[in-house]
Amino acid sequence: MAHSFFAAGFAVVLLVVPTVVHSQHEEMSETVGLADVGQGSLLLETDTPGRYLPVPVQSTEVEITVRGLVVETVVRQRFSNPGDEWLEGVYVFPLPQRAAVYAMRLEIGERIIEGQIHEREQAKAIYRKAKAAGKKASLVEQERPNIFTTSIANIGPGEAVVVRIAYQEILDYDSGRFELRFPMVVGPRYIPGLPTSIGKTGTGWAFDTDDVEDASRITPPVLHPDRGAINPVRLSVTLDAGMPLERLHCPSHAAQISKTSEDVHRIVLDGVPADRDFVLEWSPARGRSPTAAVFTEELDGSHYVLAMVMPPDDAFIEAVRLPRETVFVIDTSGSMGGTSIIQARQALLLALDELHPEDFFNIIEFDSSFSILFPHSRPAMPAAISEAKVWVGRLQANGGTEMMAPLLAALGDSEELTPLRQVIFITDGCVGNEDALFGAIERELGRSRLFTVGIGSAPNSHFMERAASFGRGSFTHIGTPVEVRLRMRELFAKLENPVMADIELQWPDPNAEMWPDPVPDLYAGEPVVVVARLGTIHGEVVATGVRADESWESSVPLSISSSRAGINRLWARRKISSLMDEKARGTPEDEVRPQVIEVAMTHHLVSKYTSLVAVDVTPSRPDGTDLKSGAVPTNLPAGWQHAKVFGTLPKGGTSRRLYLLTSLLALVLGILVRQARGWF
Amino acid sequence: MWRRAASALSVLLLVAGAVQGGRGGWIYAKAELAQILLHHSWERTLAGEGRVRPWPWADAWPVARLVIPGLDDIVVLEGASGRNLAFAPGHLDGTARPGGDGTCVIAGHRDTHFAFLEGLAPGDAIGLEDADGALHRFRVTAAAVVDEHETGAIAGGESPTLILVTCWPFDLLVTGGPLRYVVWAEDVTR
Repeated sequence: MAHSFFAAGFAVVLLVVPTVVHSQHEEMSETVGLADVGQGSLLLETDTPGRYLPVPVQSTEVEITVRGLVVETVVRQRFSNPGDEWLEGVYVFPLPQRAAVYAMRLEIGERIIEGQIHEREQAKAIYRKAKAAGKKASLVEQERPNIFTTSIANIGPGEAVVVRIAYQEILDYDSGRFELRFPMVVGPRYIPGLPTSIGKTGTGWAFDTDDVEDASRITPPVLHPDRGAINPVRLSVTLDAGMPLERLHCPSHAAQISKTSEDVHRIVLDGVPADRDFVLEWSPARGRSPTAAVFTEELDGSHYVLAMVMPPDDAFIEAVRLPRETVFVIDTSGSMGGTSIIQARQALLLALDELHPEDFFNIIEFDSSFSILFPHSRPAMPAAISEAKVWVGRLQANGGTEMMAPLLAALGDSEELTPLRQVIFITDGCVGNEDALFGAIERELGRSRLFTVGIGSAPNSHFMERAASFGRGSFTHIGTPVEVRLRMRELFAKLENPVMADIELQWPDPNAEMWPDPVPDLYAGEPVVVVARLGTIHGEVVATGVRADESWESSVPLSISSSRAGINRLWARRKISSLMDEKARGTPEDEVRPQVIEVAMTHHLVSKYTSLVAVDVTPSRPDGTDLKSGAVPTNLPAGWQHAKVFGTLPKGGTSRRLYLLTSLLALVLGILVRQARGWF
Repeated sequence: MWRRAASALSVLLLVAGAVQGGRGGWIYAKAELAQILLHHSWERTLAGEGRVRPWPWADAWPVARLVIPGLDDIVVLEGASGRNLAFAPGHLDGTARPGGDGTCVIAGHRDTHFAFLEGLAPGDAIGLEDADGALHRFRVTAAAVVDEHETGAIAGGESPTLILVTCWPFDLLVTGGPLRYVVWAEDVTR
């Protein structure tokens, strides 16, 4: 009996073992075709395994000129085709969220073709027609205020073409510091919702979903970091601050900074991979901080005015501190993996120390789902703070970014515990459903105020800025671990001091059209920045506001001496932004669209509904030659972890065989020992 | 003395063998038993009961039934979490609904429900019954071994495609390897 069991057991072991060993190191056979592709071109996987698409190689040159409050930028995207097929490239890239993109031109060798503004569908049709006719053509579309797409058709074998894009923006000034930010890569966005039946309208990795209808247009393919960095950027800034500087600093890159003349600096990046935001900061010398600035432009009988008015520092000296309920929301999704979650935890721990015992607080962490530290906000007593710190220390980044539910939970103001209620939202904002979130903030805000803290090397600044705007709070960027303490201190100053509210501006022309309208409340360190269109600029603009029952008034003379080209575009861009906000608030798109199109067409601006298109005169691709089309891949943002964002293919194995094999071995040995017992 | 030690050792080995056998058997039993319950809940799903939980404490529900002629007949759960996969193949979140347009991805264990993938070759038929009771016929177009990071392998297009994913190699003893076996199939219902 024991013998037969032994024999049977051994037979099974023999049957199992060989199959275990034989196939561990089989070669993968699906990478065929690699050798056929020209040197240096990128290969993009297709939906069919083993088939790859060649895509053009992309590099970027950026020239930024800062004069006073206005930033003028020229971006030259070079697409080259080292292969031997005709190519179309689709490149999804970021620009600053307030960029007024007003010009695009296609440069083919010496020839230059200026792009024209058209309604988006019409521009697309012009592009498609040119593409089919074998003509070189380029199209620049806006997917989000900070995500754009360049399509470039009919790049011949061995050819290179340049798409030159120009934009203007208003410089950011806050807490005595100017900040210039040039994003270089669209961080992979989390796409909530269920796939629609359409599948994909773009070339990205995500499916369009019921929550993000254009998901496939904002998710460019991401090259695995193991395959090296691509899309090199050369960048130079000419900074004419117009005042002596105390500090000029580039926290994002090792930039070369030199002084070319009194007050003028030159900052150069000589070839960096497009994998993070470029950030430049400077502070005016002590006592030279601007209190007001005005730039004007006269165009077609109208005067456009950009005005900045800074309330004096003493307008924000701390009054009686009111107790507050602070709800922290921390993003622990996969995109926060790596350095971001460390910065987020640091920021949160610092913020916990700022609470006073009379305050209430709670913390929400979210990824695919969310959890709350306490069932209800608790007084910020030492025991609760300690418990919170332990909880925060354990937070890990993993999973999706389902932001809506935790946002609503944070804004849910069940009981009025304290006079003030502040929600501090720490995230990289890498989601695709921004508008739905803005709408929810608008509806559910109540008396709460929302402050966003943008984390990481390539945050979604559009989300940070607009979420804070809808939330009537402010936004803060933390790009590197060394900035955490400084930036959080600036945020605490905003949280601690009463706001300047009811801000109004009196223009010499009663028919002035000013944006934003109304002017949002100001927090400590923030200036009033508005853009207006007037019939006359004789006189002065008077700004008024109220802070903790004290009124503030400041007047600035207007004059044509501070004339600057392009203010009309900044005005139009700000107006479009306000119109798009209305859409997020729930105004039907059919009402918003014609208004946006009118402003954008008049001022030659790219918007969600208008695009720039340029078409070569003569066809270059011979009849009968195929055109291959592919999406230009992008880098993973610096500090991110690929597997945390894109995950891995689902696992599909159990230890069943291991258990059974070890079981059999043990049984066989056990029986052997039993048999052998007789020998001793 | 030696006899006693040998006796103790043999008992130890036999017990260890029984435990390991039990663990291995339990994985298999769980996979098989769950399918019986899942087939019952699938009947009720088709009868229009919506999301039917196969057992009271389950946190997933059946979304499709895979029929491989002569080989297998398995009910698929919503979600490809490790917990689900112990009971049934799982439909990957964020991919097309089984039977809908677009690419539908289903993952399963290589040594239980999806062991049959090894035997599939291009041209083979796979039947998929969706929650409305409609039967979709798929034909295998390709199969390949890919790295777990190559999520592009399951990126889809507009046409209805079924992708089955499992671990690879099929008969490896230990779990957690970096390779996956992927089978692509196109809808040939029409």
